[in-house]
Amino acid sequence: MEHHESKLILEIEALQENFNLITSKFIKDARRQDKIMARSDKRQRKEYDELMALKIEIEETQREVVFTMGSIGESRSKETGNHVKRVAEYTYLLAKYVGLPEKECEMLKQASPMHDIGKVAIPDAVLNKPGRFNEEERAIMDTHAQLGYDMLKYSNRSLLKMAATVAYEHHEKYNGTGYPNQTAGEDIHIYGRITALADVFDALGSERVYKEAWDDERIFKMFKEERGEHFDPKLIDIFFENLDEFLAIRDSMQDH
Amino acid sequence: MENLKLEVTKYTPEIILDVEGTISLVGKSYPENTFEFYAPMMEWIAEYFETSAKEKTVVNMEIIYFNSSSSKLFFDFFDLLEENSSENKIEINWIYDEENESAEEAGEDFIEDFEDLNIKLVVK
Repeated sequence: MEHHESKLILEIEALQENFNLITSKFIKDARRQDKIMARSDKRQRKEYDELMALKIEIEETQREVVFTMGSIGESRSKETGNHVKRVAEYTYLLAKYVGLPEKECEMLKQASPMHDIGKVAIPDAVLNKPGRFNEEERAIMDTHAQLGYDMLKYSNRSLLKMAATVAYEHHEKYNGTGYPNQTAGEDIHIYGRITALADVFDALGSERVYKEAWDDERIFKMFKEERGEHFDPKLIDIFFENLDEFLAIRDSMQDH
Repeated sequence: MENLKLEVTKYTPEIILDVEGTISLVGKSYPENTFEFYAPMMEWIAEYFETSAKEKTVVNMEIIYFNSSSSKLFFDFFDLLEENSSENKIEINWIYDEENESAEEAGEDFIEDFEDLNIKLVVK
């Protein structure tokens, strides 16, 4: 009897030892798993932070490139002071009220200042000529839309693609009498139609070597006449419906 | 027993298993199926210690980036080395770039977990 009992105890003890071995292996494995998870979480957080920092870096670089290009275009044109900055703000407002998504409005605000970038390729003799252009000079000047497009069209960056469209189409007219392609109506990209209005509004209200600044009455009269002619009627309506906001931008960003 | 060499890919390290006594892993490790990918290596190593182990075996690991299943696999890998460490002289170098904090921490984890293994942290 005693012998049996001790044999049973030995068997149970063996089982116990086995059980202990297995459970400690499980515990060890579970600890490792926890450690791997913790490390992995930490690493992922770090990678996410790095990714976000890179994203910001890319966006800022893009913004800077675009802004610099816009300034270059401006330095080569007779537009002065805050012209491109005001155009940027007007295009944002028009884009917003025409119903483009916020992100696209923000992008257009950044891309529209590049509308005249093609002027960097216009010869100085034409570009810097005081007074009005003759027909031949006018033709050379008009190539700036195509030139700007050619400079930007190969980019795969969404912002520069948008800028290419803006440069290309900002002198097209709604009735199809603009340049370089006499595109008409909705065939002109909304970015082009928006920038056309913003650019003209600002140019007319500004003084130039060859002209006085137009007063508001004259600009508004012209805009009404050109509704559906030079300009997208929808955008003209938006402009007049929100006139206060456009004038507020103009007042806050005057040339000095 | 023959040497085994796996070429480096975008997601997997170069692996050189030399019967003269060197095991080397260099590169990134985030295979789609980690355990499947490393199975030939694990089999080779098991066979090596069983039949052909040299007096001293040197393991050089320079893993720049690895996913969590690779991390798990490396624990299994060190388990296998540890099982053979009483009868074989095994020297392990965990090599990493100074700026690679994740790799450094992983090396420290392995040292902590495998007291019987001779794992050295080597800053490049």
